[in-house]
Amino acid sequence: MKPITRRDFLKLGGAGIAGTAAIGAGLRGWPLRAMSAAEREAVTGLEERWVASTCLQCPGGCSILVRVVNGRAVKIEGNPASPNNRGRICPKGQAGLQFLYDPDRIKGPLIQRGERGSDNWEMVSWEEAIRYVAEKLAEIREKDGPHTVIYMNGRNRGVMHHHMGAFFKAYGTPNDVGHGSICEDARPIAHKLTTGWSHYSGYDWENTAYVLSFGGSLLEAWRPTTHNLQMWGIMRRGHPGRRTKIVYIDPRFSVTAAKADEWLPIRPGTDGALAMAIAHVIIKEELYDKQFVAEHAFGFEDWTDEQGVAHMGFKTLALQEKYSPERVAQITDIPAETIVRIAREFATTRPALAAGCRGSSMQTNGVFNSMAIHALNALVGSIDRPGGTMIQYGPPCTPWPEPVLDEVAKQGLAMPRIDYAKTRRHPLGGKAYQDVPDNILKEEPYKINAVFFYYTNPFFSIPDVKRAYEAFMKVPFLVSFSPFMDEATAHCDVVLPDHTYLERWHDDIIYPSIGFPHWSIRQPVVEPLWDTQNAGDTIMQLAREFDRIAGTQTAAAYLDWQTMEDVLKYRARGVWEARRGNIVADTFEEWWQKWLEIGVWTDPPYEFGRWEKALTTPSGKFEFFSQTLKAELEKHANGSMDDYLAELKITARGDEVFMPHYEPPRYVGDEKVYPFHLIHYKVITHAEGRGANTPWLQEILGVHVQEAWDSWVEINPQTAKRLGIEDGDEVWVESPVGRVKTRAKLYPGARPDCVYMPYELGHRRYGRWARGRGAAVNEIVALEEDQMAGTTGWYSTRVRIYRA
Amino acid sequence: MPRWGMVIDLDKCTACQACTVACRAENNVSFAGLNGYRRGRAIFWNTVIGRVEGEFPEVQGIFIPMPCMHCDHPPCVKVCPVGATYQDEEGRVLQRYERCIGCRMCMQACPYNRRYFNWRVQEWPDTFALYRNPDPETQPRPKGVVEKCTFCVQRLRKAREEGRPIGSDYPDGVVPACVETCTGGARYFGDLDDPESIVSRLARSPRAFRLQEELGTEPKVYYLRPGQWEPET
Repeated sequence: MKPITRRDFLKLGGAGIAGTAAIGAGLRGWPLRAMSAAEREAVTGLEERWVASTCLQCPGGCSILVRVVNGRAVKIEGNPASPNNRGRICPKGQAGLQFLYDPDRIKGPLIQRGERGSDNWEMVSWEEAIRYVAEKLAEIREKDGPHTVIYMNGRNRGVMHHHMGAFFKAYGTPNDVGHGSICEDARPIAHKLTTGWSHYSGYDWENTAYVLSFGGSLLEAWRPTTHNLQMWGIMRRGHPGRRTKIVYIDPRFSVTAAKADEWLPIRPGTDGALAMAIAHVIIKEELYDKQFVAEHAFGFEDWTDEQGVAHMGFKTLALQEKYSPERVAQITDIPAETIVRIAREFATTRPALAAGCRGSSMQTNGVFNSMAIHALNALVGSIDRPGGTMIQYGPPCTPWPEPVLDEVAKQGLAMPRIDYAKTRRHPLGGKAYQDVPDNILKEEPYKINAVFFYYTNPFFSIPDVKRAYEAFMKVPFLVSFSPFMDEATAHCDVVLPDHTYLERWHDDIIYPSIGFPHWSIRQPVVEPLWDTQNAGDTIMQLAREFDRIAGTQTAAAYLDWQTMEDVLKYRARGVWEARRGNIVADTFEEWWQKWLEIGVWTDPPYEFGRWEKALTTPSGKFEFFSQTLKAELEKHANGSMDDYLAELKITARGDEVFMPHYEPPRYVGDEKVYPFHLIHYKVITHAEGRGANTPWLQEILGVHVQEAWDSWVEINPQTAKRLGIEDGDEVWVESPVGRVKTRAKLYPGARPDCVYMPYELGHRRYGRWARGRGAAVNEIVALEEDQMAGTTGWYSTRVRIYRA
Repeated sequence: MPRWGMVIDLDKCTACQACTVACRAENNVSFAGLNGYRRGRAIFWNTVIGRVEGEFPEVQGIFIPMPCMHCDHPPCVKVCPVGATYQDEEGRVLQRYERCIGCRMCMQACPYNRRYFNWRVQEWPDTFALYRNPDPETQPRPKGVVEKCTFCVQRLRKAREEGRPIGSDYPDGVVPACVETCTGGARYFGDLDDPESIVSRLARSPRAFRLQEELGTEPKVYYLRPGQWEPET
């Protein structure tokens, strides 16, 4: 590859990316002649180049440039050619070097020769490991059927979900269980019900004038992290004369709360009520965008359906007394006058945005909360408008070849899923990851023979985590693709270790955010350190080996590909043929080379108001009254809707069910015994759960409490005094499912009825800097769900706290 | 001769600490671990100070990123008995590690706590050694000396060798690692002696202030306080 300097990326980035230039006073002359790379090399004796790739410390998909000296990666910077992160990169991205060079990585394929979890590993060849797994799979398929295998997966970026899933589909298991239900799935579901767009929303932060964020901590773990952080700077000083007002709603005084203009310390789980009260004021005072509502909304006014049945509209619902600011103030602890003022500001400062994330959506009432929040965007006409929400367009990649399904596969795929997704139990969710252990134990709907873990670690990341140990240890065969000896991997029979993201071919299609397409390359910046292998290559080898043994055609969908580089070239051909965006070339080879050099293909700008794409509900409008939700629930209700609603633990009845409304959150633990809400959170330094073994991040863990290397529990100082707890005391935090020991941190930002703990600590496995450090929150979080969506209610656990 | 300075806009700062990690990677600053951290032995050439104060629900949080202030009247230089710490002709306060005797007078004198003592040999266990920056100025400091932020001297030296512009005034200008990665775009670097440079213009903003200005140290790191837009003079 031709050596290039970081400077070249600015030139290569091309038009439309004004980020860095905007602050400059214009270029001034520079008198000296630039040294060529070859000249510099001759002077220093160091072979040095910058390689474009894509970060994977979170799903944000930030483009990076890695400084590689004599084959070693020594510094990571943001890639200025990307309109996503615009040359910047967050602390997690910066710390990627310690992820790549982690001395505790798995160094080759492993087979467990002793008891599970005994670390009695034998390092074997790739051929042997793959043959071993293929033989097991053949035996299971023959004996009990392919549906008895579960493929649990987490951070699938770019092609990986399809690519890995293609084998498991052709093998014949319906149990492709992603981790969205322990994450943020409530929000995509709410978007689907109201707008038809079944994904996260993009937000035009850059052009908005007012932000209401319900539990979405822009400055911590919300994604894409670096993009959000940049947008913060732009909202503050990016438009001369205009400073976007940011109102942050969260029971926790986070960094975002501290930096926001106003913090509303809401009672946990009541965000939906607050959103409804804001809607109440906006509608009552007629401050809503009447034109948008008339042209692009359905179910705002009362209406009559085709059968002549009269239905309540959202306007009537929101104007009910129970959603008045005075009543909602009692639910949320936000004073009525504040609600009225915020509602007026939000409706009269255009464009305005209502956004929500973790705090409002990862609740037992998460879908309805998220619908209520999104309804505020519709009321002020911020759906697919500048300064409002956006959908995300993807790159025109070559479509995937379809897997070949034999009879065994067809029968397997027709079986019910292990997590009962899209059934009467969870009618809306595509997966219910957190239910898998319980169903394995109950052998419902059938016995499981094998589980594969790709980029996921249920032994650490599900509520009431001991369930994972109980259940998975009963499964006869466990396989992990992880490059790290995390809790799940440590208990597997076979480990097929992946490269880290800085050593492999991979791609990233941007997480919904900027709207216009953005496709970035992840190419090896250094040679692989160990005998690891790209999981994408491994799965193709496994499919071929399996076919050889079983006489099947599971590898047919992989065409003639040998490596992930081949896969990406196949996918890229479609983008080259589209001849648009920042890279256009005569030949495919030329296009490919440019992509590797620049690191990102992107096609700005975003075109607002393409309603046929942005609003794809049955009515083609924003549905205040969700016909999709009504149809889905009726499909499973068997004629008795009220019984079914009771089964789904929904308290509303009648038309209100199908509209944004407030459902009281449910809790685990008697308030008299467990008086505090447990609020757990991700700090920005967590790398979303896979970075615990990163000393640079551990040493700056909690900037708001100035703590590092250990966990803590934040307590209101008055509450602590009442309990006889002083700052730094060792305390037990106990819930109905367990207790953990940590240190008390007296924190003025804490609500008196809540305690707060950060995630990511308390690993029982993993590397030397992660293991046995701090307390694992998931050992005390109880399992509660948004039954309808199959998503986890993460904030339902009550705890008590006492000195150790 | 330029006089290098930095401006940090606290309205744009997100307290993300990318600056802190970028600095450690660029300048070969290792980590102290739990015990070292608790004993105050972790080294942060750049850090983000955070403080949350008040009584619920009336709470304020303040976060201040802190590199070395590179004072024009640096108290640390005055007290150094062996001339190990000095101000160079471009206004930077630097350290000659080979001359430092580890007396830590400079740490006492610095009103900003921006100097760190090497209590032990810095370690890069196992494969961590592979990511070390090979630039000569950044080679790990021995045990027993004081170290500090240099405004990334190695970057500026290389920029000159390679004929590249320096400072936030240029779209591709070379800047210290903390400025380059600053996620909120809060940091600016440039020549304070050039009245038209970005840093000079921002330093004249009504939002501008410096830490403990009353001490007369004349820091070359300026901060911009958060606040509404007002007509800039």
